[in-house]
Amino acid sequence: MDLKSTLRRFLPKETPRQTHAQPRVPNLDPFLHGREMDTPFGPCYLVERHFAFGDTWGDYRISTVGSELPSAGLSILGAGVISTLSTSRTVFLDTETTGLAGGTGTYAFLVGTGRFTESGFLVQQFLMRDYNEELALLYAVDQELQSADAIVSFNGKTFDIPLLKTRFAISRMDFEGVNRHCQVDLLHLARRLWRDKLPSCSLESLESHILGLTRYNDIPGYEIPQRFFLFLQTGDGRLLKDILEHNVLDLVSMAVLMEVINNLGKLTPSECDCPWVAEALGQIYANDGKLLTALQFLEQAWNLAQQKEQQIRILRTAALLHKRRKDYETAALFWQRLLVIAEDDLMAHEELAKHYEHRHKDFEEASRITRRALAIALRTRPAKVPDLEHRLHRINRRQETVS
Amino acid sequence: MNCLSISRILEKLEHDPRFRDNITFRHTIPGTQGKYEPIPGFLPQDLQELLRRRGISRLYSHQAQALQAVHAGQDIVVVTPTASGKTLCYNLPVMQALLENEEARALYLFPTKALAQDQVAELMEWSDELGGRIKTYTYDGDTPGDARKAIRSAGSIVVTNPDMLHSGILPHHTKWMRLFENLKFVVIDELHTYRGVFGSHVANVLRRLHRICEFYGSRPQFICTSATIANPQEHGSALIGRPVTVIDDNGAPRGPKEIVFYNPPVVNQPLGIRRSALLEAEKIAHELIAAEIPTIIFTRSRLNTEVLVTYLRQSFHRLGDMVEKIRGYRGGYLPNQRRQIERDLREGKVLGVVSTNALELGIDIGTLQAVVLTGYPGTIASTWQQIGRAGRSTQESLAIMVANSSPINQFMVQNPDYFMEKGAEYARINPNNLYILVSHIKCAAFELPFRYGEMFGDIDPIDILEYLTEEMVLREVEGRWYWMSENYPAVDISLRSASADNFAIIDTTDGKTIVIGEVDRFSAPMLIHEGAIYIHESKTYHIDELDWEGQKAYARQVKTDYFTDANLAVELKVLDVTAQDPKPNVNRSWGEVMVTAKTHMYKKIKFHTHENIGWGDISLPEQEMHTTAYWFSIPNARAQALGMERDALQSALMGAAHVLGNIASLELMCEPGDLGVTAQIRSPFTGEPTIYIYDKYPGGVGFSEQLFAAHERLVSRAYTLVSRCTCPSGCPSCVGPADEIGAGGKQHVLRLLKEVMGDGSQEHSAQISTQRNA
Repeated sequence: MDLKSTLRRFLPKETPRQTHAQPRVPNLDPFLHGREMDTPFGPCYLVERHFAFGDTWGDYRISTVGSELPSAGLSILGAGVISTLSTSRTVFLDTETTGLAGGTGTYAFLVGTGRFTESGFLVQQFLMRDYNEELALLYAVDQELQSADAIVSFNGKTFDIPLLKTRFAISRMDFEGVNRHCQVDLLHLARRLWRDKLPSCSLESLESHILGLTRYNDIPGYEIPQRFFLFLQTGDGRLLKDILEHNVLDLVSMAVLMEVINNLGKLTPSECDCPWVAEALGQIYANDGKLLTALQFLEQAWNLAQQKEQQIRILRTAALLHKRRKDYETAALFWQRLLVIAEDDLMAHEELAKHYEHRHKDFEEASRITRRALAIALRTRPAKVPDLEHRLHRINRRQETVS
Repeated sequence: MNCLSISRILEKLEHDPRFRDNITFRHTIPGTQGKYEPIPGFLPQDLQELLRRRGISRLYSHQAQALQAVHAGQDIVVVTPTASGKTLCYNLPVMQALLENEEARALYLFPTKALAQDQVAELMEWSDELGGRIKTYTYDGDTPGDARKAIRSAGSIVVTNPDMLHSGILPHHTKWMRLFENLKFVVIDELHTYRGVFGSHVANVLRRLHRICEFYGSRPQFICTSATIANPQEHGSALIGRPVTVIDDNGAPRGPKEIVFYNPPVVNQPLGIRRSALLEAEKIAHELIAAEIPTIIFTRSRLNTEVLVTYLRQSFHRLGDMVEKIRGYRGGYLPNQRRQIERDLREGKVLGVVSTNALELGIDIGTLQAVVLTGYPGTIASTWQQIGRAGRSTQESLAIMVANSSPINQFMVQNPDYFMEKGAEYARINPNNLYILVSHIKCAAFELPFRYGEMFGDIDPIDILEYLTEEMVLREVEGRWYWMSENYPAVDISLRSASADNFAIIDTTDGKTIVIGEVDRFSAPMLIHEGAIYIHESKTYHIDELDWEGQKAYARQVKTDYFTDANLAVELKVLDVTAQDPKPNVNRSWGEVMVTAKTHMYKKIKFHTHENIGWGDISLPEQEMHTTAYWFSIPNARAQALGMERDALQSALMGAAHVLGNIASLELMCEPGDLGVTAQIRSPFTGEPTIYIYDKYPGGVGFSEQLFAAHERLVSRAYTLVSRCTCPSGCPSCVGPADEIGAGGKQHVLRLLKEVMGDGSQEHSAQISTQRNA
């Protein structure tokens, strides 16, 4: 018995078997409308798509202004984003890969890049038609990235960029790769704005909820590796069409989303018409130490908010900010406002009890509030009870001392 | 605590009628003087000074030899006993290389995380004394994510285990470029643990390591250490894939060691049943701990560890509060818990530790003075390792081995010369086991495409590459094979057992949900079926629910007076015969088989009395394994000529299988648990009475072929063992207990084996009939 038949007897089948004959380099032109591209490492395949300024994209239009990308808003939102990205030196990037697992056996078979041109947005998709074209693909991508200072991606910091780094490293070639670029990850920025509003901050969810764009017949991401493998086995270029389309949609949406996010980042409190964005910006400015601006955004958020849960959160954040500014009277006012809509809020009770005990020395009021807090804690947060009992005990003692 | 107490306790035991008569062997290994050599001049001054500051003005002779050999560029294996200063043999050359070249890197592999942690602590001290120039990090499953990046680029010494190298480092080699480009040394500690299936996997992981190093242009030197094995040269070079120089002339001094073999008394003469080794070990351990002698008690299973901790705590509880000083230690405890126990041992807060072989290796647990072995550990090498855990340095120490009723145990305690003279076992691996090899070729192809003509170890993998290409896992383009799958192959391959996935045990007592331990898939049906009593840290848990798909068992703490023991039923089907040798009286073969294992029921066994107080059903999916087996059958005509009833023949087969399985593990010098045995009175395949011995690992590790070749020796040894056993009609030490095997079972086994042996069978049956007449 030869080794191969032994192997077949011993080992379970890996995948269903298919037989086929295939040309080594399939002709993709009729389906993908691209062209073969020559590099010092041999050929790979390039597909270009151009979108003109003014083309609609959901509720928005593809546009940008001047030679500098309007990134001031982005830099407010994201640490490490420079406020003046150069239009010509910013590249949008999105890869399609042979898997999500990572590691050196995962290949980026399609690298899509996008750039603003004088007339619109140009997408270039570099494709390896088989594994032996990987070096050529990397060379082409490297050339493209060399003329850029910033890379905009969606979840790229976690996925695309480390993967490309691995591919460049494994090539053992003198590529510059992706090490020096400023990274703008739109997923991180989107999360800061819409984490509480949207059930998910996936690109598809953002398209649907923020951009007003619906995808039709889009290939789900998890099907992409198998589709590519099937293409490798059959050489049927039609199989790639959906993948390239998916990649293009991602890139254009990223370009539009970036501008949306940037504009939100530049808003003043009164311009803001979405409670979620106002609250998020309030939080962002607060983290940045700009407390007054933060409070203005929160006030605006409060004016717009409909949902009780959010209202409670806004008042709480505002109260804490006033406390941080040492404006204890205003803080107390906010806690009281909070009790109007959430009479059982434990934190508000505790803060007010502290306020009356330590600042006003109004032990009677402090005691009354603490007793109420205790009643609430007994029902909802038993772990808090000992603390509150201790506090009550102290207040009563101080009250006796005074009287 | 001093030397006196050892002599005194030994004297006490030897004069105590409750112990005295059970001591079958007592031997003193005298202490020896050390052999020394000066510190070699080629070591850098800083290092020489550091040694002197630590009070080391000269080296043991084996340390000096190791340094010379490494200096000469050789790959080495240092084979000396526990506590002979093996770590210096690798730390000195590594420190030297790192001091001479800041960019140099070293990779340390330890078989367990615990050993790795221990080593890092020592290296940190060294590094501090050398001015913090050498950065040492552990990299394992417990390493926090944010620390990993720093380790990858800045770690001069990366300390890890083969599993992490396999699944975490090699598949991400680009992130470790600095390490691989500058790798000067690979240190492999406890080389002897890499045997059998685990060793065969590790040999392939090292083949992958060689490939990656070559890719980055490095060629590290290997420094290995090992406990005593019979074939360090052969094993070392099989494992690392290169010739090795063996250094085995121990120059370290040794304190005198007392070795005692203890055979529990026969409590049921007709059944040949001895008192439980566990209960005897408890008595002995109690004496030692009560005399405040730091003691380690080794058991053969996790269950026994827990049972013994419970017993010891109970017996000390009656005497006062020593409970905290008794701890258990085994796999399945969470890492933090283990570290805590190790610390408490070193600091003397724990006086008695009951452990599985998890503590057999060189984890630093300070100075223990006595070791109690509950049963023969299965191999001679392992026995010496466990014995070596007591008495590091030059003090006197004591080791007591308490035998159980198994044939091998009885053989050992009754033939101490065999133990003292035989020497250690051979460590065997089969890196070319197809399952294992193919698994690692997949991993290797994931890491880097294979090139046409490229070798993998000593194997030309082209057939396997083509097979994987046809199965569409790889794709061949222009003489290279690329990974064409979205899977990450290493996660599906566990180096230590057939399946990678473990079951979590979740404590739900009082509405909590806390993971208290884990169990591998193959043990799950035996240990955590619904209704099982799972014992952890001597607390008893009732398994309320086993979620087979979700790989979770929900447990609730309960107070019980019993534990559970599950029965495993095995079916075996022959798929293909690789070789056979038909003779008139016996037909032996080996080949491929499918083994199906299923647990049907479990017994409830009362603590202390060990009586059976009930049983329950288990309904879990059966598990299949495709492996290799050796078997022999007796032609029906010959079987009939034995003149046995069906029942008698059945019990003869069962009894013969029992003894043959044990003899086979002795022959192969493998763990008895590596083999499975089963008998069929009319095998569907041979149509005849048949006994099978199979490899308990998918694809087989090569045992079956060896057993096929050793057939005659196996059968005659089995015959000798049974005929020499003093029991009247079968006992656990030969053919199995008489109540299981039936009256007269022992005689039936002897006749069957005699028939299989062939020559002189006429004569023998005459003898038997004479006995009958008498």
